[in-house]
Amino acid sequence: MNFFSSLLPNFQQLVDGFYFERRFLTTMFFQVAIDGLLTGMLYGLVASGLSLIWGVMDVINFAHGEFLMVAMYVSYWLGFLMHVDPIVSWIASGAFCFLLGVLTYKLIIRHCLSGPPLSALLATFGLAMILKNVCLNRFSPNFRLLTGTLLDGKKIMLGNLILPLPQLVTAIFALVVVFIVYYIIKRTRLGWAIQATAMDKEAAELMGIKTDWIFAFVFGLGGACVGIAGGLLPSYLAVHPEVGGLFSLIAFIAVAMGGFGSIPGALLAALFIGLIEAFGGFYIAPVFKYVVVFGLYIVVVMFKPKGLFGW
Amino acid sequence: MNFKKSIFVLLFVVILVLGIFSGMVMAEEKIIKIGTLFPLTGSCALAGQRCKSAVETAIEVINNIHTECKVPLANQSSVLDGYKFVLVSADHQGKPDVGKTEAERLFNQEKVYAIIGCYNSAVTKPASFVAERQKKLFMCGCSSSAALTERDFKYFFRMAPTDKTESIEFCEVLTWLNETKNAGIKTIGIIYENTEFGKHAADEGKLAAEAAGFEVTADVAFAPGATNLNSEVQTLKAKNPDAVFGACLGGDYTLWVRTMKQMNWLPKIALNYCTGYQDPVIAQQLGDDANYFMGGTGYAPEFAELMPAVAAVEEIYKVKTDPSVPFDSDSIQEAVAMFVLAQAIEKAGTLDYDKVRDVLYANEWDSPLSMGGKVAFVLGGQNSKAMSMMTQLQGGGYKRVFPVELATNEIIFPMVPWDKR
Repeated sequence: MNFFSSLLPNFQQLVDGFYFERRFLTTMFFQVAIDGLLTGMLYGLVASGLSLIWGVMDVINFAHGEFLMVAMYVSYWLGFLMHVDPIVSWIASGAFCFLLGVLTYKLIIRHCLSGPPLSALLATFGLAMILKNVCLNRFSPNFRLLTGTLLDGKKIMLGNLILPLPQLVTAIFALVVVFIVYYIIKRTRLGWAIQATAMDKEAAELMGIKTDWIFAFVFGLGGACVGIAGGLLPSYLAVHPEVGGLFSLIAFIAVAMGGFGSIPGALLAALFIGLIEAFGGFYIAPVFKYVVVFGLYIVVVMFKPKGLFGW
Repeated sequence: MNFKKSIFVLLFVVILVLGIFSGMVMAEEKIIKIGTLFPLTGSCALAGQRCKSAVETAIEVINNIHTECKVPLANQSSVLDGYKFVLVSADHQGKPDVGKTEAERLFNQEKVYAIIGCYNSAVTKPASFVAERQKKLFMCGCSSSAALTERDFKYFFRMAPTDKTESIEFCEVLTWLNETKNAGIKTIGIIYENTEFGKHAADEGKLAAEAAGFEVTADVAFAPGATNLNSEVQTLKAKNPDAVFGACLGGDYTLWVRTMKQMNWLPKIALNYCTGYQDPVIAQQLGDDANYFMGGTGYAPEFAELMPAVAAVEEIYKVKTDPSVPFDSDSIQEAVAMFVLAQAIEKAGTLDYDKVRDVLYANEWDSPLSMGGKVAFVLGGQNSKAMSMMTQLQGGGYKRVFPVELATNEIIFPMVPWDKR
């Protein structure tokens, strides 16, 4: 009797420990899922611009990551010099990248379209090098952080779950912007003109559509998407000339996995990538999180070479 | 036509003569080319550019009379009766393959006498192999992987303490805290970049922890330059170790600190290897978030009273950096490497590689820019006099906290939680 009574508190502790452990693991599971979704939405916003440009023009913009980096610098300098918060400066960085996209088309891509398909791709690769090195030269390789922003360090607590506000706001922006772009493409006359141009450029021209203008607009819109993402990022990520590299690689995978040209496909693939990255990183090993993502991409293209939603 | 022809011939002869003459002048010029091989672009470019500036500073002091600097060779304007040092810099971008190719180019095409570099241990390894094969000198300032000096190389010399030394120091701090403050530290987590540097630091950390009786409960490697470190910090949070050893360079360090803040988690104590922690600009940008982290530090402006000779040299260094910054633990070691090499050449009285190498091993060198004040090498090329001190960022400054006899401040333990800052 004494023996069992002496065991009883220990047994109770075991039960308490078990439930505590289970609660903790459940909390961690949902926390990892939240992190994955928020990261995925950011990837989705970056990838949507890339997908749009490819879908309409069959051009892969290798400078997409550098557009993101430039947008982050615009937002950073506005914050640092003029105390404009990223929650506002995304407008400027989005507009700047829209113009950068239009100029890229007018000055570079337009001249490459009549050449072999590889020339436009290599031209954007060259542009990426130029943008990166100009920023390296002008701003040095310093890591630049914006501190004291409106969202800095703020979070929403849902029980034990943490929703970091900077990432949450970026994710909401991602959803809204992708929805607006999708709406423009599917439901407006401009969008129909873009779709017509994507399907058959010559036929669209015969219908009176100014395809050159459409191309410039699409390149600008793609730039604006990544510009908005870049404008919001300095509230939680350091800015430096190399920052766009991995983002653009993941955006390429999201676009290829979602199906070249499909904006909802790119968003869904990006969400998928975010979740896989988070769960793979937490439950397998952090060092393998990108390995899991790239491995999964290979599996997807093996079975669906045109991606999950490609046309 | 004839006139034009004769003018052409005349010009050709003039150019030829000038060419030969200038060649003779160059041949007579007494210069010793020193190659620097640092990451001038890429994710570690900021640190690399500072390291290059440190070598430039040392050369400026050695090549000219700087009586205000109380360091060796400052009172003369050359070595070996008239030889001046000339710097040839190369960029390895943080990539080992590029580092190896650039080392070959520096030796074979630029004909440099020795190379100083490479900051990243992962690059130092193949680049120093090139030097060893060619039996030429490789002076390493701050690459901290212990493996570099365990290869029995004969022409490789390293100034900084290794990860092994730092790991042992970290465990000494933890043991001291347990003994004097009843800190209750039992478990350790290690977060490190998945590179030569990070992996070796982690290995040494695990060995030191085991030897000191601590349990390593979290082993978190990550890809450098990651878009986020959420999984990494979640893993640490799930294991909740009492102490964390960090080996995160540059931007990854800021991301790690900020992600911990977002996840509202901190260990009781965080100790950092030669990383972003030591970068005063990163510390300044992180502001209050950088406080209460700790790390091994070879130099910080707060060490001025211990190393009074640094101030005058630092003034020259500040002019060469943009933005103007004081020396940090890494860059100052590269300046030490240059000063020691120049002293060895001067003492050897020759540029013969083997003789200079023997002189480097045979002597103890004055080094007012080193914490120990001396540099001496043991077989393998490690500086046996290398020292660092444990600092903690308090109020934005690197305060000396351990060993106790040299401390200016007490360790703030445990780290102040994010919501109470």
